[in-house]
Amino acid sequence: MTSDSDNLIEIENLTFLRGERKIFDDISLTIPRGKITAIMGPSGTGKTTLLRIIGGQIRPESGNVKVDGQDICSMNRQELFSFRRNLGMLFQSSALFTDLSVYENVAFPMRVHTNLSEELIRDLVMMKLNAVGLRGARDLMPSELSGGMARRVALARAIALDPDLLMYDEPFTGQDPIAMGVLVSLIRELNNALGTTSLLVSHDIHETVSIADRIYVIADGKVIGAGSPEALQAEPTAMVRQFMHGEPDGPVPFHYPADDIAYDVLGEPG
Amino acid sequence: MLGVVRALGIRALDWLSTLGRATILWFNAMAGLPRWKDISLVIKQIYNVGFLSLVIIVLSAFSIGAVLALQFHTQLARFGAQEAVGVGLALVLLRELGPVVTALLFAGRAGSALTAEIGLMKTTEQLSSMEMMGVDPLRRIVAPRIWAGLLSVPLLTAIFNMVAIYGGVVVAIDWLGADPGGFWSGMQDGVELWEDLGKGMVKSVVFAALVTWVAVFQGYDCPPTAEGMSMATTRTVVISSVLILATDFLLTLVMYGDF
Repeated sequence: MTSDSDNLIEIENLTFLRGERKIFDDISLTIPRGKITAIMGPSGTGKTTLLRIIGGQIRPESGNVKVDGQDICSMNRQELFSFRRNLGMLFQSSALFTDLSVYENVAFPMRVHTNLSEELIRDLVMMKLNAVGLRGARDLMPSELSGGMARRVALARAIALDPDLLMYDEPFTGQDPIAMGVLVSLIRELNNALGTTSLLVSHDIHETVSIADRIYVIADGKVIGAGSPEALQAEPTAMVRQFMHGEPDGPVPFHYPADDIAYDVLGEPG
Repeated sequence: MLGVVRALGIRALDWLSTLGRATILWFNAMAGLPRWKDISLVIKQIYNVGFLSLVIIVLSAFSIGAVLALQFHTQLARFGAQEAVGVGLALVLLRELGPVVTALLFAGRAGSALTAEIGLMKTTEQLSSMEMMGVDPLRRIVAPRIWAGLLSVPLLTAIFNMVAIYGGVVVAIDWLGADPGGFWSGMQDGVELWEDLGKGMVKSVVFAALVTWVAVFQGYDCPPTAEGMSMATTRTVVISSVLILATDFLLTLVMYGDF
């Protein structure tokens, strides 16, 4: 890490379009170093897109994205690939390599990026798998794992090289309560133990509030709320309140834009 | 009228941008020779696309050789020229049928599998997660498959030719009782190393490049849906087959055309 700034990620005036739709409309946000920051918002607000932009997989229309002082948007292919070695990402689908065993999945980043000896890799893999409680599952194939286990293996793989930045894409979605609890404490522990900066994208309010140090709420391409979990829950803005308390209707409409129902059902203008 | 022009323009632009993406894919994947570290990946893929295609190649080769010998024999017998079966068989196989049929079978057996495999890796975000780990999937996944195809298809073509000629021998000599001396000496006199075998192999390398390129690109570019993948695998077989046959005509024209 080269820059001394308190913020690992600085996003300024980011605009991103998908077709005609504005996913991000001139948003700015900062992710503090060593903390857990959560990006929240209704589905379809481009939370995952934001992670992909930070990882350099998608280029925004305009704006600056700086990670550790380096501008992601101006990097070429080679620079991007070497930048990403300091990055761990947990995909919503876990994205384990289906032709490799659990052990080999976790060993993969080490084998590709380092020249460590086989014994050292073995020790490291065991430590990472132990951290997620799956040392005993090392010889299983990804198809033999439950969803929760697969996500933990993916987490072990994401931390294989002790990255400076860990990004979690909807880590709690589709997990049973026990797995959810395990993941919440794992994310917290990993952040404390490794000193990693964590960026979490989620719409599970309860879990996110319990571990995040700072939360951004994004809706309609704008940041509509930012601050500590406590501050946000007491937030007076109607939109943030609707989201944080899970109310079905409010400033974020229940209905996707449509004609008047009388027109659609009866075939005559309202 | 304007609408037609517009639709044609959209089609053409679409086609051009696809071709552009495919070219970029090829260069990004093949930039630089494979590193020694990756040699095991290439060998694994040679097993997947090459060795596992052997059964279909050998079976087809034997039947095609047998059928050719049968046809040659019955036709040539009318002129009492049965000993020309050997040379006819060898020339047809080495120059045309060997490279072409092998490539067509390869497209159906290995090309479609490559597309499906890469497409599924994309759909399940394996390629994306690899990218996020700082590993270029073009170098790690695509390049070894292209190299494996480039090495396997010429080898498969050689095997195809050999087995097909053996199939011809079984029919012409063992069954129909042609004279082995005439069969083999005719072949020896009539076949030239570069003119027949060499040019055939050049064809086969070109076909290998075409099929693997189409296959990996279709997989890499396919929309991440079930429908997108099924269309991509179909397109791999259709496009590479048409390309093989069209390119074969062009290559034959350039290599053997006398004008």
